[in-house]
Amino acid sequence: MSTPLNRHSNILDFALSSLLRRKSKNFSLLVVYTLIVFVIASLIFFVQALKREAAQILKEAPDMVVQRMVAGRHDLIPVAYGEQISAIRGVTAVSPRLWGYYYDQVFGANYTLLVPEKNLLEPGSIMIGPGVARNQRIQAGDMLALKTSRNIPLLLTVQDLYPSSSELISSDLIVLSAEDFQTMFNLPAGQVTDLAVTVANPREQVTVAAKIAELFPDTRPILKSEMLRTYDSLFEWRGGMIVVVLAVAVLSFIIFAWDKATGLSAEERKEIGILKSIGWETSDVLLLKFWEGIVVSLTAFLVGVVLAYGHVFFFSAALFEHALKGWSVIYPQFKLTPVIDVYQLTVLFFLTVLPYTAATIIPAWLSATVPPDAAMRS
Amino acid sequence: MHVFKYLALLLLICLTLSFSTALAAPAPSAKDKCPVCGMFVGKYPDWVAGVTFKDSTALYFDGAKDLFTYYHNIKKYSPLKNQAAISAITVNDYYSLKPVDARQALFVLGSDVYGPMGKELVPFGKEADAQAFLRDHKGRKVLRFNDVTPAILKSME
Repeated sequence: MSTPLNRHSNILDFALSSLLRRKSKNFSLLVVYTLIVFVIASLIFFVQALKREAAQILKEAPDMVVQRMVAGRHDLIPVAYGEQISAIRGVTAVSPRLWGYYYDQVFGANYTLLVPEKNLLEPGSIMIGPGVARNQRIQAGDMLALKTSRNIPLLLTVQDLYPSSSELISSDLIVLSAEDFQTMFNLPAGQVTDLAVTVANPREQVTVAAKIAELFPDTRPILKSEMLRTYDSLFEWRGGMIVVVLAVAVLSFIIFAWDKATGLSAEERKEIGILKSIGWETSDVLLLKFWEGIVVSLTAFLVGVVLAYGHVFFFSAALFEHALKGWSVIYPQFKLTPVIDVYQLTVLFFLTVLPYTAATIIPAWLSATVPPDAAMRS
Repeated sequence: MHVFKYLALLLLICLTLSFSTALAAPAPSAKDKCPVCGMFVGKYPDWVAGVTFKDSTALYFDGAKDLFTYYHNIKKYSPLKNQAAISAITVNDYYSLKPVDARQALFVLGSDVYGPMGKELVPFGKEADAQAFLRDHKGRKVLRFNDVTPAILKSME
């Protein structure tokens, strides 16, 4: 039976046994290769997942946020500004927002305090993020004591905890009623942190922002598109850390492929000579080298990608953690939602498997065209 | 049980729709094409304009300009229909993006806001909105439905 399929399976068989013959060399090759694919694929998964989380968060963000600036710093904004802003054509709604930060001296952590737009909570009760609960060692039903700006302790009952699925945003969050917020920070009457502006027609946002800036020169309107752009460039491929790691990985791959491509060992050349002298054709030799290349690179690619998937989505990219972590006390413990960008994986496939396979075939082709006796003698 | 709840809600919506004025024309599907320019209308929900006929069929356009092109030359685009067969015409108010009756609407000509088909007649439900838009976006003229003639459409090409 010498069907073409048989020929392939025989040559593949031979390729596998010839790979096994140089076990240690090929195994170390496989390990290095897998490692490189693993690092690059981890980065792709990680960046993609973070981008998606950010996009998810920003979907809920208001079309525009108006902040008041005093001496270049964010300051409280009078609610009365909102009434004039809502009179601008194209503005559907203006809602005042109350939020701020609170530093807990006992636990050494910074919390984000936020008043929800709708009255979700009675005065005296709060909802907290999982990070706060861990930091304070409290649960739903427990009391939390915060110190107000007048140095009076304010006792609040934890009504509920935010689910850990929302940890990336809610970790350090304490949601409380407007009354409690007022007690905490003693804001001047009629002032809020900033204003969230809804503009129905996205085309009109820039015009509305220009009008607001003209009407109130001491304010700064921030568009949602600007927030999106900021987040995007943060996670972009160009984004500092990522590009450095990626450049190193790609460089090492190029060196490694180059090393492989610059030639065969004398032993391998001799082997090709022997194969040709016992009747193998050049095409058979090339097929053999092709299968060798495919076996190594495809295994490395698949194992690397699977390991990277596990690393990013099951272990929350533990290896990158220290490089990417900030200096906060409360860290979100989050699991990223798996996202796979087929396009980027395909690019990775063509950047690794194809060049490697080509790099194994070309030198083999060069030595397979040499007469067998010359190859064996050299 | 949820299914029944949704069905009931759907029925209610359908009933309200049929009793209210034809302003709440059903939204175009992803497959609906503008009969004038051939573009998919679903991609530009902000600009969508619709014509509903008395036989309750509907056509959608990606902007008021194409709507008027159609309206003034119905024979060319749908030979079996005429202006008398139209029961309602809706356009989206630029500021609120809610559908308004095109025959009562105002259209701003020559502004710096472009639609999917380039120069556009930007629709408004209220006169004051149209005037404010005209000032903000360097518009040339506020037109009523009957002011939009084929000559004006020609000038916008």
